[in-house]
Amino acid sequence: MRVRDLSLSYGGEPVLVGVSLQVGKGQYVSLVGPSGSGKSSLLRAVIGLHKPSAGRVEFECAPADVGILFQDDALLPWRTARDNVALGLGFRGMERGKALAEAEAWLARFGLSGLGDRYPSRLSGGQRKRVALAQVLALKPKFLLMDEPFASLDAIVRARISQELVELVERERISVLHVTHDLEEAIALSDTVHLLSQGPRARITQHYPVPIPRPRQLVRAHMHPAFAPLLERLWRDLSREVDTDSRAEAA
Amino acid sequence: MLNPKRAWIRQLVALAILLALWEAAGRAGHLNPLYMPMPSSIWGALVELFSGSRIWIHMEATFTAALVGLALGIVVGIVLGVVAALVPVIAELLEPVMLLLNAVPRVILAPLFVIWLGIGLASKVALAFILVAVVIFFTVFTGIRQVDRRLVERIVTLGGDRSALLRHVYLPSVTAWVLGNLKVVVGFAFTGAVVGEFVAASRGLGYLLSFAQSTFNPALMMALVLLIMVVVLVIFGLASRLEKRLLRWN
Repeated sequence: MRVRDLSLSYGGEPVLVGVSLQVGKGQYVSLVGPSGSGKSSLLRAVIGLHKPSAGRVEFECAPADVGILFQDDALLPWRTARDNVALGLGFRGMERGKALAEAEAWLARFGLSGLGDRYPSRLSGGQRKRVALAQVLALKPKFLLMDEPFASLDAIVRARISQELVELVERERISVLHVTHDLEEAIALSDTVHLLSQGPRARITQHYPVPIPRPRQLVRAHMHPAFAPLLERLWRDLSREVDTDSRAEAA
Repeated sequence: MLNPKRAWIRQLVALAILLALWEAAGRAGHLNPLYMPMPSSIWGALVELFSGSRIWIHMEATFTAALVGLALGIVVGIVLGVVAALVPVIAELLEPVMLLLNAVPRVILAPLFVIWLGIGLASKVALAFILVAVVIFFTVFTGIRQVDRRLVERIVTLGGDRSALLRHVYLPSVTAWVLGNLKVVVGFAFTGAVVGEFVAASRGLGYLLSFAQSTFNPALMMALVLLIMVVVLVIFGLASRLEKRLLRWN
């Protein structure tokens, strides 16, 4: 996937200016930036939920091969976990019995076997997030777009789900564009991290390749010698962005 | 300590004491039976009501009017609510009418319906219908506008089309809202039927009530009030079972 010179305005206000980035096959790319920098807007423009004022988004795969996961993803409350996972398969024309069997297999893969008959109201936050993940991944996407999908989870659940995700992404060679404000998460998961400047008129200011080898154990990734220096650099650059902005405001 | 599970026993005991006091006061001659008949005479009136077969004709009339009005009101309310939510012009035209109908106590339309539709079943159905339809209209109309955007986006990003949205998001949402108001509208439907009969009719529980009034028969009146309460409570029970069944995901 390639984003070229993308600009985006919101009610006349420029939000993003000339953003370009590229995600190669099987690459995991994160986009970090101060809150309000337009990270989510960029993602929504990539999906086509916002119309860019300039620039282009090019996908090499079909729209049906793109999976999307948002922070506040909602499952259908009136459908069981299994039915929820089978939903997209049904939209793709899969026969119902087969879709349900496939859904059950995906639930099992995320440690939810036996919970297929439960309604979302009877699942914990982490379980719901796993169902949402299974719902998207059951469609075998070649490209995954995520907007802070794990922000609402507590640290332990979050770490476990991230590990499950990273294993799957590595095995299936899924390309990922992941928007987050969590720098450590970005480094641990990604091949490349992009820094978006303080909005409005945000643009990508830096690229950071992550030299940690794959397959990754996320806990060990934190202990890799390259991790700490990279985090420090990212942190410094991000702070400078925020400072520049507050100085501009003061002026 | 009060055991909440035994609350019904205490309530029953309190009721029994109240009835006993009431009955005793009546027998001692402290209550004028023309205004305040004793529980035993109310019970007598109730037994008498059910001793012949005529009560069933009246029950049937009231039930028919209430249930037909309820069904029509729900269907028309949903259709108008959906159309108004999807077509702005219709919303512009319908909303003021509905707001007006919502603001006035709609039972004042009863005499008008009698003039238009006669003293038969139709005027009672119409009153029950209008009481129900307005409530359902607002439920569905505001509900559709406030449908969870995240669910809509989810279906779209999973590759669902318009019919999928209707089937998986809008229809279940509408069902949930309507069921949430089912008890309210069941009560309204019976109000409509009974008030309609009270105004002008030749049968029905409301008609019996007005008959009891004109013949100054307070025991019969109270027996009828009791009967209507029990009937509506039974229907409430059925409605909440239906609600629990269909909203078991909640």
